[in-house]
Amino acid sequence: MIRKISHILCNYENIVPLFAGACALLFLVGILMLPLSYEQNQLYPKTIDRNSSLDPYDRGGPPFTMVAIHSQYPENSPSAGLVTSYLTPLSLYLSQTTMHLGTTIVAHPGGIIDEILYNTRGLDTVVEPTILLIAFAIASYLYRKVE
Amino acid sequence: MIDLVGGVPLYVLEFGDELVYFTPYTITLFLLALTFTILVLISRPEKQVDIAFGGDAYRTKEISVSEMRFRRFMAIACGLATMGAMVTGDIFNFTLFTAMVGITNVGIVAAVKSPHVQDAAYQYGLVSLSATIPLFGGAAVYAATTGSLSMIELMKGTVPAVPLIAKGMLMLGVIGEGMAPFYAAKAEMFRAPGAPYVIMCSLSSLLIFLRVVEIVMLG
Repeated sequence: MIRKISHILCNYENIVPLFAGACALLFLVGILMLPLSYEQNQLYPKTIDRNSSLDPYDRGGPPFTMVAIHSQYPENSPSAGLVTSYLTPLSLYLSQTTMHLGTTIVAHPGGIIDEILYNTRGLDTVVEPTILLIAFAIASYLYRKVE
Repeated sequence: MIDLVGGVPLYVLEFGDELVYFTPYTITLFLLALTFTILVLISRPEKQVDIAFGGDAYRTKEISVSEMRFRRFMAIACGLATMGAMVTGDIFNFTLFTAMVGITNVGIVAAVKSPHVQDAAYQYGLVSLSATIPLFGGAAVYAATTGSLSMIELMKGTVPAVPLIAKGMLMLGVIGEGMAPFYAAKAEMFRAPGAPYVIMCSLSSLLIFLRVVEIVMLG
């Protein structure tokens, strides 16, 4: 029996269908287990001020006076939330003239640097670009491989 | 008091909301990953020799230096990602490190010139690609149902219990990234020459699997 299973598994072309099947089964179980209870007391609440020109990135509060965000361990980052974003002069000009600066975050130099994110979840922001770097390294190595 | 599966944290390092903590269990896993990364760093790779049966003909396989250099880079990156996954105290951070282990595992074997190995690596890459959905989905359900991502808070029991489906998704995601129970399939990739580097695939997936077992027992 184990020999049979191991024989099926040793063919690597069976692995993708097998994993897809396992995912489908688990997601089906997940749908059957709905509804899951939603905890109201969320650590990182998301309120969006549609009237702000920094729309999805405006995390609220006038700078240096009010802190509108929560963090799990406030004592680890005492200044989190005092500054919500940095704008270069160009970004400031854009934010005062248009309503859509938040949608152009990558399209102009010195966009919104999310101070809150970097303060509270700094390690994540380091690991994410590292994954991108590794992916680009593999892709460029394979692309440049001669013959 | 905190009731930890892996023992009491001996040292907690703070990165904002993300705590890195060392318990006897995670220290052991961390040291294992560290030792092997140093081994990869200093050791010289093997050269495979093909021997023809029935005669005394043999030939060594030709492996370019640039290929070995690239695979050493990937193996070291894999070791660093494994070390991060061993000690992190945050669910989302753990999933990120696990995704990085998955992608470096593909990178270690992707540079090999044998078509058979590359076929296997491609299939494995597809699995690790699709495994990100249950992996990050599991972390999202953790955040939605408990309101927190910190493992320390999960241990303390100050947050609601984690639903079984979130644990299942996290587990399936790690299985897909590390291919932990499918070593028979990974053996195809191990035909790749270069001894210390391919073993890194195996070791990293074993370690992240050991760590996720601790994580699902927390909440």
